[in-house]
Amino acid sequence: MVRSVSHGQTRAWRRAHEERHRRTWLIMAGVVGAALLLWVSGYFREVTWLALLGAVFQTTYRLAFAYAIAAALGVTIALIVGWSPFADVLFPLFDILQNVPSFALFPLFIYFLGYTNQMIILFAVSSIVWPILFAVLTAIKSAHTDLNDAATIFGARGLRRIRYYLAPLSFPAILTGSIVGIAIGWESVIGAEIISNTSGFGAFIKNVDASGVSPAAIAGALGILVIVFIINRLVWAPLLSNSKHYAE
Amino acid sequence: MSTTKPPALVLSRVNARFADEKQAFALKDISFVVPAGAFVSIIGPSGAGKSTLMRVILDLMQPESGTVVRNFSRPAMVFQNYALFPWLTALENVAFGLRMGGMKRSERERIAREKLKEVGLEHLESHFPAALSGGQRQRVGLARSLAISPDLLIMDEPFSNLDTITAEALKADLLRIWETYGLTILMVNHLIPDAIELSDHIVILGAHPGHVEKTLAVTLPRPRDIRSEPFFEQVDRLTETIRKIS
Repeated sequence: MVRSVSHGQTRAWRRAHEERHRRTWLIMAGVVGAALLLWVSGYFREVTWLALLGAVFQTTYRLAFAYAIAAALGVTIALIVGWSPFADVLFPLFDILQNVPSFALFPLFIYFLGYTNQMIILFAVSSIVWPILFAVLTAIKSAHTDLNDAATIFGARGLRRIRYYLAPLSFPAILTGSIVGIAIGWESVIGAEIISNTSGFGAFIKNVDASGVSPAAIAGALGILVIVFIINRLVWAPLLSNSKHYAE
Repeated sequence: MSTTKPPALVLSRVNARFADEKQAFALKDISFVVPAGAFVSIIGPSGAGKSTLMRVILDLMQPESGTVVRNFSRPAMVFQNYALFPWLTALENVAFGLRMGGMKRSERERIAREKLKEVGLEHLESHFPAALSGGQRQRVGLARSLAISPDLLIMDEPFSNLDTITAEALKADLLRIWETYGLTILMVNHLIPDAIELSDHIVILGAHPGHVEKTLAVTLPRPRDIRSEPFFEQVDRLTETIRKIS
């Protein structure tokens, strides 16, 4: 009697995944090694660490807050639109909206919210939300007709369809949309901090050196790289690994 | 007094257009009857609108005109490409319809295990579809359908993606299940010997647009001997009919 089945494709996927995992660790080890060398050589001697850590923390906190709002908003809108019969009508409208450059709307955010924490967070939301929304909507729209029909025939109708069919169907898209969205989010938050000169890492590197290239800026960039790496390893990598079950 | 069961399905002069090509007709003047408890096969060439017909029967798309009388309340479908939910295990896939019906977890898992055992896959209940072979996936699809106690089972080319040995085993299981449950089965198929072996009635469709060329009753006694002369005669006759159409 067959007790388990294993396909070559699964093994190949695992090998590729392990290789990618190994390379990521190698790159990170290189970055940490370079940072240590700079430290030992005294390059960071004039860096005000407490101020830098505070700035990096503030930027990360804003990004996390913005991502939480954008993910909730993007996923909810995409699921409702994807579930409704209006998806084909709204898709082109969203496409136009997402093509408006975020920074073109920056004066509006300042006008309505001033140079505040909320302004930077909501500005970041406006750029993070699109990749998530589009990834989920595309996943729903491109689902195989048979799978849609199976969900309908076996009772996933009405609002239950969102919870038991559309949400799990969209899970891999939520992850990829989030990864892209957060990458854009770092730029938005730091960019907004530089322009508005309020606080956070953007304002820190603007004020520490007009040229933008200074030991403090390098130390901050390395710090952000470490944060990105930790988030990737602790959050996205396990979730992406789990999402292979969601692929047809 | 004799009580005759009404037919499970009656289609009368049904016309339908393709979902993505609004101009073209997929089905033209389709009329046939599926008696309750019968095994009916639909065969026809590519472009005969077989999949569109299944969707119309299941009320997944509206016909342009004509009448569809559905004397069934719990239809189920086995798909050519399995259409299992990849994020659910075999057990969860089988229990899906019961879960949507609001059944308690312990009860639906008990029924799902029963159905998996019936199709010989009880040992693979925790496997995800990606870790199952084509035949195993098709059996999970069959178990998923049986779990909701359907009164009409529609099967869309269920053997076309399977190797011969797996298809033969699944056919035997299907016949056993049909006889045990007294189900009405409507199967889209393109294999003539399979249609003769399994069916009480065969609806032959022509293509462009899909239309009924002929309906015929298979009168061979069951269990059918697929190596007997009458069987080969029926296969030859049907093959000839289809050759003329295409």
